[in-house]
Amino acid sequence: MARERVEVSLTINGRTYRDRVESRLLLCDFIRHVAGLKGTHVGCEHGVCGACTVLIDGRTARSCLHFAAAVEGSAITTVESLATEAALHPIQQAFHESHALQCGYCTPGFLLTTVELLGRNAAPTTEEIRQALTNNMCRCTGYANIVKAVGVAAAAMRGDGAAKA
Amino acid sequence: MTEALHTGYIGRDILRREDSYLLRGQGKFVDDLPEPRDTIYLGFVMSPYAHARIRSIDASRARALDGVIDVLTGEDLAELTDPIVTEIDFPGYIRHGRPVLALGKVRFVGEQVAVVLAEDRYIAQDAVDLVEVEYEPLPVAADLETAHLDGAPQVHDHIPNNTIFSARFETKGFDPAPAAATHSIRERFRSGRVAGVPLEPRGCLAMPDHTADAIVFYSSTQVPHILRTALGKHIKGASESKIRVIVPEVGGGFGTKAQIYTEEVVAAALALKLRRAVKWIQDRREELLTSIHARDHLYEVEAGFDGQGVIHMLRVRLHTNAGAYSSLPFGCTLEPTGGARMIVGPYRIRNYAYQAYAIATHTCPSGAYRGVAQPTCFLTIEGVMDRIGRQLGIDPAEVRLRNMIQPEEMPWVNAVGVRYDTGSYVASLKRAMEMIGYAGFRARQPADRLADGKYRGIGICSFTEISGTGAPGWRARGLIRMPGFDSALIKIEPTGKVTAYISHANAGQAHYTTFAQVVADAVGADIADVTIVEGDTGATPYGTNTFASRSAVTGGGAILRAGRKVREKMRRIAGQMLEAAADDIEIREGWAEVRGVPGMRVSLTQIAETAYSMNNLGLPPGEDYGLEASDFYDPPLATMANAVHICTVAVDPEDGRVKVENHVVVHDCGRVINPVIVDGQVQGGAAQGLGEALMEELVYDREGQLQNANLLDYLLPTALDMPDIRIEHIESPTIDGEGGFKGVGEGGLIGAVPAIANAVADALAPLGCNVNRIPLRPSYVLGLIRAATGR
Repeated sequence: MARERVEVSLTINGRTYRDRVESRLLLCDFIRHVAGLKGTHVGCEHGVCGACTVLIDGRTARSCLHFAAAVEGSAITTVESLATEAALHPIQQAFHESHALQCGYCTPGFLLTTVELLGRNAAPTTEEIRQALTNNMCRCTGYANIVKAVGVAAAAMRGDGAAKA
Repeated sequence: MTEALHTGYIGRDILRREDSYLLRGQGKFVDDLPEPRDTIYLGFVMSPYAHARIRSIDASRARALDGVIDVLTGEDLAELTDPIVTEIDFPGYIRHGRPVLALGKVRFVGEQVAVVLAEDRYIAQDAVDLVEVEYEPLPVAADLETAHLDGAPQVHDHIPNNTIFSARFETKGFDPAPAAATHSIRERFRSGRVAGVPLEPRGCLAMPDHTADAIVFYSSTQVPHILRTALGKHIKGASESKIRVIVPEVGGGFGTKAQIYTEEVVAAALALKLRRAVKWIQDRREELLTSIHARDHLYEVEAGFDGQGVIHMLRVRLHTNAGAYSSLPFGCTLEPTGGARMIVGPYRIRNYAYQAYAIATHTCPSGAYRGVAQPTCFLTIEGVMDRIGRQLGIDPAEVRLRNMIQPEEMPWVNAVGVRYDTGSYVASLKRAMEMIGYAGFRARQPADRLADGKYRGIGICSFTEISGTGAPGWRARGLIRMPGFDSALIKIEPTGKVTAYISHANAGQAHYTTFAQVVADAVGADIADVTIVEGDTGATPYGTNTFASRSAVTGGGAILRAGRKVREKMRRIAGQMLEAAADDIEIREGWAEVRGVPGMRVSLTQIAETAYSMNNLGLPPGEDYGLEASDFYDPPLATMANAVHICTVAVDPEDGRVKVENHVVVHDCGRVINPVIVDGQVQGGAAQGLGEALMEELVYDREGQLQNANLLDYLLPTALDMPDIRIEHIESPTIDGEGGFKGVGEGGLIGAVPAIANAVADALAPLGCNVNRIPLRPSYVLGLIRAATGR
């Protein structure tokens, strides 16, 4: 069985990664094994659970449903881009303070879904938050604290310290 | 005199230590670990038949594929491993073995018949598809309700009527028809088959340690010590002492990962044989086909009661679906004995009898999923309470209160001999009713019902939650090899910093935070100086590990016992240093002080320097060097927590959809270590409970084919399905065990299932619908409504 290889170049978190890979290599596997960024987790490999959510050119996508070769030249954003050495991103900080994670496996996907949501809607209602979060499954938290964290993050990012989720 | 425990950290909302690295994407789950270049990836060939004879296996095409190292079958693995036998010692249990790869026959869809060894995971999966297995299909028994009937196809030749386990029990002088029982109810309750479905599927990485002639076995498991013992036992020629199990970050467990799986034994055996790293990462379809299932239960119940709704007789016959093999280590007795033993719950039921059966079928083995038997046994007894109320025209909450064990009756020994030392059954129910506005809901219900075209109902689940089971509790359920204890080794290092090695393993429960709180209080350290190490058999003492709502009880208890020893030694040393009696020394948050003499103090660091002979002070006479202690804690038979869930639902008669509108929980897990963590456990459990009540079900057809082995068709709750759950706590610390702690891991799930089902039953009661099975999916609910209304 001949396995076709193609040259793929992707920009992930601002850095370009180039490799000759199998044309069937999934984007999530390129991110994890070629770029070595293991923060993107794989939960179902059929596009339902959302654990592998990344941003492709700024929009959320399930990295298990794309071939790396098919998104050649795209700019990918993963969880590793959010925090600095010194500080968590306000969304991460809100997840921490709201106890919005337990095992942490689904968390990177939720963070990127939240980045997209708050990028287009700085003050989402609770219903809008819940709607956006249906992109992702969590088996530990029951979602309550994730919904709360997104509201807290939105307020923090608006500079609206007094706002409540 | 032992110093009383000062709870400076226990009971506080302390933010998790685990979060920063997980939020940054730096958690090291098993598939994230660095691996050698020559790592062998495994791919398992799974049976497409539920029951078949294996006629031949032709792996020549697979072996010819570039990148494939080898393909091995059941015969090959039988040379390396022994069949897995769950050593349950119980009358009525029939032992049987399971080879790690099928030998001769397959007994469920997904059973592994061959293993591919390849250079990467993609090639392994290609090769799996090229292995040609010729099967001779055999008749299938997949259905719980027919598999035990005469003439049903047998799963194991030596187990007649597929009855792997049967047990009967009657309370002394059991009377099936006492005079006081002027009324009676017979009902059956049926629950769908569900699974834990952790977001991270299972996986393992076995790495040879050439210098030690050993392997380090990384596995996404909840039970590192039990896994290590099982690998040592089942791999021929292996030495348990040459196997070190390390638990990396685990992406959810819920009991699914508290079992020992055949793939783990295969991976470890191959790494030991080939002296190369061997890795296996499961995909979701495999996860749903082969990770343990649970809850395919049938309860047939009969209750005799008086005109006031007080129960005078309860009789239960229950069948649980064991699947094709008894899983390790819990086997198939856990669910039937659990349901039969726990169903009496917080109620004063004295005249009780049960028959309990585990039935083998050609389906995936069942095991210990969060809640184990309790969601279904409380679905049953709480359903009975509601039916008594409906029959007599008494409010169902009142029926419960009339049957409930009253505060002055505690401690209570229930009908099967389980002692409830403390609890808040009446108070929890009354408080939950206040929180949800029970009386107001009932008053408005006739008018609100159908106000917007939807039926509204309210449902209660009042229950006891078994937690922190000790050795006597496992023995009572036949689990002869299940230890019960957990352990802690606490070291005050020479610099005064504290390292605590705990036998448990974390899968999201925040042990690094909550155990640090307990350690800090136990030894009197500043929490910032405390480091927790767990999930590594090379570092931590032995234990039973992390499932069945254990860690706060058994880990917390072990920490308190070990901490007490260390603390007493520190008091003796500090007493000499401060020229005071040891009994007059108080230690908290890093300082030892003479009671009542402010300023007369030494730091833990100064005490440690003395203990490790790093100054000129010398130890008290007869004192050994060092400053560490280990201890074990085996809790009593059971540590009984309790809770009440009440929820309200709206049922749409147009499409059968159920929306949970309000949900309150009053929870009593004794002394709370960290309230925000406890609430997180309850909320997460309640989501799984909502899934079990309303949407989750693994559906096998008559041929034993799993119809929905993917997450599009096996539905998990999403953020839109969950109501805001309000939680309050009542604390009734245990008096039978250490620290006052009771477990909390399962209550959120257990209570939600019956509460939601009862709310739907209440909503549809005016139509005469009998809601006695879960899940209550829209199509099923719509069918009930249509049948009742004749539409």
